[in-house]
Amino acid sequence: MEKLTLPQQLNDLKKRFLSQRSLLKKIIVISSGTCGQASGSLEIIKAFNEELSRRNLGSSVGIKITGCHGFCEMEPNIIIYPEGIFYKKLKPENVPEIIDKTIIKDKIIPSLVYEYEKGHRIVRIEEIPFYKKQMRLLMQNNLKVDPESIEDYIALDGYQALAKVLFNMTGKEVIKEISVSGLRGRGGAGFPTGKKWEVCRKANSEIKYIVCNADEGDPGAYMDRSLLEGNPHSIIEGMIIGAYAIGAVEGYIYVRKEYPLAVKHVKIALEQARKLGFLGKSILGSEFQFDINAVQGAGAFVSGEETSLLASIEGRRPFPRQKPPFPAQEGLWGKPTNINNVETWANIPLIINKGAGWYSRIGTKKSKGTKIFSLVGKIKNTGLVEVPMGIKLKEIIYDVGGGIKSNKEFKAIQTGGPSGGCIPAEMLDLPVDYETLSKAGSIMGSGGMIVMDEDTCMVDVARYFLSFTQEESCGKCVPCRVGTRQMMEILTRITQGKGEEADIKILEDLAKTVNIASLCGLGQTAPNPVLTTLRYFRDEYEAHIKEKSCPALVCKDLIVYYIEPEKCIGCKLCLKNCPAGAITGEKKKPHVINQDLCIKCGACFDICPPKIMAVSKYTGKSKEKILKKFSSRKN
Amino acid sequence: MKVRINGKEIETGEKKTVLEAAREHGIYIPSLCDHPYLTPFGGCRLCLVEIKGRRGYFPSCSTFVEEGMEVRTDSNAIRKLRKMILNLILSEHPNACLMCSEKHNCEEQKLTIRKAAEVTGCIFCPKDGDCELQEVVENLKMKKLDFPSLYKEFNVEKKDPFFDRNNNLCILCGRCVRICQDIRGVSAISFVYRGSQTAVGTVLDKSLVDSGCQFCGACVDVCPTGALVERAVKYEGMSDREVKTICPLCSIGCAIEAKLKGGKLISLHPSRGSAVNQGQACVKGRFLIRDIVYNPRRILRPIVRKEGRLQEVCWDEALETAADCLKKYKCEEIAFLTSTQASCEENFLFEKFAREVLKTENIASTLSFSPLYFLKDLGRENYFEPSLNFKIKDISKAKTIFLVGEDVALSHPIIWLEIFKAIRKGARLIVVSPEEFFLNRYASIQLKVKPGADYCLFGYLSKIIMDQQNRLDVSQTEGYEFFKGDLSKLPMSRAFEITGIDEEDLKKTAQILIEKTPSIFIFGANLVRSSFANVNVASLWNLALQTKAEFFPFTSESNERGLFELYRSSLDKNKMLPQIFRDISDGLIKAVYLTSPVPYLGKGKPEFLMVQDSFMDNNSKEADIILPVTTHAETEGTFVNGEGRVQKFNKLIEPIGEAKPDCWVISELARKIGYKDLDFKNPSETMKEIRKAIPGFKNVYYSRLEKGEEVFIEEEKNPKKGFIPVKYKPVYVRTSKEYPFLLSLDYSRDYYRNLKLSQEFKGFRLMRNERNINICRDDAKKLKVKDGESVTLYSSFGKFKRFIAVSDSVPEGIVKTGFLWNEDPDFSPASLISFSSPEKLPLRFIPVRIERGK
Repeated sequence: MEKLTLPQQLNDLKKRFLSQRSLLKKIIVISSGTCGQASGSLEIIKAFNEELSRRNLGSSVGIKITGCHGFCEMEPNIIIYPEGIFYKKLKPENVPEIIDKTIIKDKIIPSLVYEYEKGHRIVRIEEIPFYKKQMRLLMQNNLKVDPESIEDYIALDGYQALAKVLFNMTGKEVIKEISVSGLRGRGGAGFPTGKKWEVCRKANSEIKYIVCNADEGDPGAYMDRSLLEGNPHSIIEGMIIGAYAIGAVEGYIYVRKEYPLAVKHVKIALEQARKLGFLGKSILGSEFQFDINAVQGAGAFVSGEETSLLASIEGRRPFPRQKPPFPAQEGLWGKPTNINNVETWANIPLIINKGAGWYSRIGTKKSKGTKIFSLVGKIKNTGLVEVPMGIKLKEIIYDVGGGIKSNKEFKAIQTGGPSGGCIPAEMLDLPVDYETLSKAGSIMGSGGMIVMDEDTCMVDVARYFLSFTQEESCGKCVPCRVGTRQMMEILTRITQGKGEEADIKILEDLAKTVNIASLCGLGQTAPNPVLTTLRYFRDEYEAHIKEKSCPALVCKDLIVYYIEPEKCIGCKLCLKNCPAGAITGEKKKPHVINQDLCIKCGACFDICPPKIMAVSKYTGKSKEKILKKFSSRKN
Repeated sequence: MKVRINGKEIETGEKKTVLEAAREHGIYIPSLCDHPYLTPFGGCRLCLVEIKGRRGYFPSCSTFVEEGMEVRTDSNAIRKLRKMILNLILSEHPNACLMCSEKHNCEEQKLTIRKAAEVTGCIFCPKDGDCELQEVVENLKMKKLDFPSLYKEFNVEKKDPFFDRNNNLCILCGRCVRICQDIRGVSAISFVYRGSQTAVGTVLDKSLVDSGCQFCGACVDVCPTGALVERAVKYEGMSDREVKTICPLCSIGCAIEAKLKGGKLISLHPSRGSAVNQGQACVKGRFLIRDIVYNPRRILRPIVRKEGRLQEVCWDEALETAADCLKKYKCEEIAFLTSTQASCEENFLFEKFAREVLKTENIASTLSFSPLYFLKDLGRENYFEPSLNFKIKDISKAKTIFLVGEDVALSHPIIWLEIFKAIRKGARLIVVSPEEFFLNRYASIQLKVKPGADYCLFGYLSKIIMDQQNRLDVSQTEGYEFFKGDLSKLPMSRAFEITGIDEEDLKKTAQILIEKTPSIFIFGANLVRSSFANVNVASLWNLALQTKAEFFPFTSESNERGLFELYRSSLDKNKMLPQIFRDISDGLIKAVYLTSPVPYLGKGKPEFLMVQDSFMDNNSKEADIILPVTTHAETEGTFVNGEGRVQKFNKLIEPIGEAKPDCWVISELARKIGYKDLDFKNPSETMKEIRKAIPGFKNVYYSRLEKGEEVFIEEEKNPKKGFIPVKYKPVYVRTSKEYPFLLSLDYSRDYYRNLKLSQEFKGFRLMRNERNINICRDDAKKLKVKDGESVTLYSSFGKFKRFIAVSDSVPEGIVKTGFLWNEDPDFSPASLISFSSPEKLPLRFIPVRIERGK
């Protein structure tokens, strides 16, 4: 392919790609993002390739390997077009059958079809509630695009927005369009994107930079990875448009090293874009010039903070620095720099193509458009979900997510990653937008959502998230480095039953200090899990401290395992599985746990057959009773 | 600009931080990470303040004042916040003593501080009483601690020379890391790990020596706690007196402050805000002076050779003997060697003594090898007077720095600091040297010139610049036509063959010199330590003149420039040092009076040798009379530094043993000989005489120096400048089959009087690899020699044996080793050259052969 030097050539190219496509009878789309590959999609691809070439079907059946579609619970899965048949959780052995029956004979294989409820099977992807209830503006192309092929992207109107901007709009008009659309930063803070661009555009400097922040560090969040892996050109196009609007000469995509597939796809995409003249000098024949470098992060959570990220690109330790000056004033190498998150950039071509008016009709008054969340935890449909702003939490959890696993009770949802907060069941009617989440003590963050059920101890959850931020603190400022460490000490004490009543007050004071005195967002938001759990689940803290009990039966030091003699059938299963040799008993007679030897690993609890359920956990007073009983028996 | 702090209106300048503005007006804001030398960090969060109209709290160290800003530094909320933060800092810092009510009654334990294995509280800490953390605790009136201690359990790092690192006391303010990176440009230390594991350390936990530390001590000086402390004085406690003085160890003349206790010198620190060194020093000035002064090699009593043996005598007897001996010789049979390390006053009296008492013309010094001498020489031949004064500070204003042949980061760290400042502001650094210096990592271009082809390289650059149309028009300058004519003899086609540098790099360099002005040319002794010394200096001078650059020849010794100025008018009369050596070996000179270290006289020793010095060395072992004199710490006087700045050093301690100041010795000796007119009262009186006799010193008054005024050597205001004719002969040092390597002898500047610092002090020796033969990896492979193996070097003059050190800094085909003046030639690379044959001192690029073993 040759470099495009006129906007018209882009349309010709698009037509050419589309015409090449219509020759195929069937297309098998295989989801093969990092999550797909982890569940075995590469073997499926290999099996399909071998099978198709063995049967000489290569010319009529096409295979398209795409990024993640979002329904991670069902990986590895395929979709067979034109019908849109969705097959889930495949194994290589299924492949010949699929070709025999579905591809050749157009028959459905019921065992591979998605089962919504018992007996209720759904064949076509559009009808699956997980997909149906979403509003997939950004994610939809992940189904259609081979991330290693620019042809796919161009065939789907790719780079049309760029052509439109370069030849029909001034930089100012682009910024106005983005401002009117109401798009806000998807990295977490929700700063209006148009306003951010405006500041950088006005900064007085010949050299300006733009940066794509793809250092997605929140545990359990992976929407940026999916976009970069699945549709890298949409981000690149967004960045070129941004650079044009701001007047930047160079851009950087900062991807964390832990995303090798994203790095690979971004690098391929950049090379393709350069070859076709979307990057480099005189883009599409215009006077605009711009190029993008891909930089790999060195693996620190704090690198996602914008000033640390810039330091990291410059080759320094990713320490955040005091703002102002903001990056838009003094950023990369001291030059004005605009930083946006992956998802923000991906929204740009969409807004330009469909118009700010269309975009601003989606969402709430202050939060526009859609947002991708990674829905994980004790939820049935784990995966990436894209929903319009303003949707209720309840709708995400029950309609899209399918409710809680094993039909347990919902307890809380943690939004915004480790620096977000936990929202309780009473607030499930909360519409999801920047303001309401922040009012509830949490944040939108980059879009992590962790669902917790009744078996979750909120003190333990707070401790877990804090241990993450504590370890990932860069160590520069005192409140974050030492403050989180001291909070950890207190929480650990509480979960061990060594907490004192004054601890809650100290914890609150400390959390507030860390929140207001820390240098960067990491420290400022690190206490959020503690503060929200203290706000909504204070009774659990008090139970740990006053009654030395863990109501959710999680904290090891506060519980005992006990075999109910009336239920135990003496099957010896737990006895054989106890790693500490703490269980004794004869066949067909109730077993007993030696509390002195028990290490509370829970192996007996897990292994006891569901029909029997003879092993129970006790805490607080009943725990004491059991221990007393045990020691008196000993004597 | 007007701002309100705590309701009080104050007037302050722009570009100031709130913290600076508050401090100017005596408003206390606690702070631990901020430091006047460094840019804001915002890590300790103690200096948080409230600003009216803005939400939240702001660190005053990194918030800049704005017109009409209203700041509160002491609201209840802030006080509470600060206490909480200080609480957190103290929870990671040994704090047993901070809150102890009995801490003032702890004298008994204090005596045993050396025995404390771990610092658990202030009384066991070497920084007790001088600690900024203690100060903040005091000021915030902390009464109790809210959090349990989290001791970090680091091992104290003791494997490096000069100072210990105790990370248990570190509060991670980052001052040490920042000064090492931002001011010194070294980056030997950094933050390592993250979260609560964060610490200051080195890459891969290497020792500081291995991570490139230059032991300048800047980190030690900015450390607010006892985490970094000079090892030697760790347990000395607080000083009782501080005296300002000047470091005598190189030509920069750093202002330093001596800490004294009970009349004893404890330690030395660079003075804050000094004009020359701006609060910085180097390893020598920071850590070595104390050990020099109290060195066991000090000669404490006069010594006279009796019946072939050196015996201690009293001053009277020594001086009598000396006078009697000197009187025996005719004046032309006596030689007097003055010193580039002695003060102006001492050297003035030395010359007077030599000329008027001994009536000899045989006066010489190592000035013969100084770049100043060559410049002066060229000026005299070509009827112009080079201006020698400059200001080190101006280097930081340059856009281009053209550095020739010197590893200034090692030899003159203070010059490097200014170069680094310029680089941080965007200046280009061009390095001309085949060797790999530490500072090359900052160079825009490194011109790896062929050995001996320096002057051809400068010529080619001149030629390229002249051939291009540019804004630098120098055609009206005197000598331009000759200059043009000389350059026409350099064939462009042979540029690479002659200089070893490809045309593209030459053109790139020329372009930088044309475009990025002003530029500064810096060169030192290495350029004149070859047989091409004259043409090297001349062609560099021409290039600088052509590009309208400043020309900074820098000297090596503390008073090299002073001695040069004193002898400026009589320089032509004085003999070159090699001439004196020839005369000694020819028997023309029979008596030698030494006041500075010279090459070992050994077998060719004159009939009578008198040494006046502070330390024993190889020459003094052969001497007939040894007169012990004080070091500069025990007397006062003036030095002229490389810039031409006159500075006064002060007496810190009483003379050690029976050592006497040079001036006293010389005037007493004159009296014994029977000469009345050399009566020394004090240095100030001597300066009076110098003022009268030497025009350059006409502004030098002790009263002005003591007030801290800037006093420079008086120079011609508009010196005549012109191009110097240079005969470009593309001849350079060649190797041969017999001698396939070129030896670069690094003449060590690291000596004080006749004490060899790099041999004397173990820590310093680790930093200077002078005792080995350095060779590059590839050559070592070719010769099949391993690191640490013993080899013998052969030149046409002799041979010499040492150990091989495989090094990355030496280019292929070159071997490098250090040497000192007064080593015994049998054990010194000095045996590979001849001191007495040539007029110059060709230490660089001697053809040699390397053989294993023997």
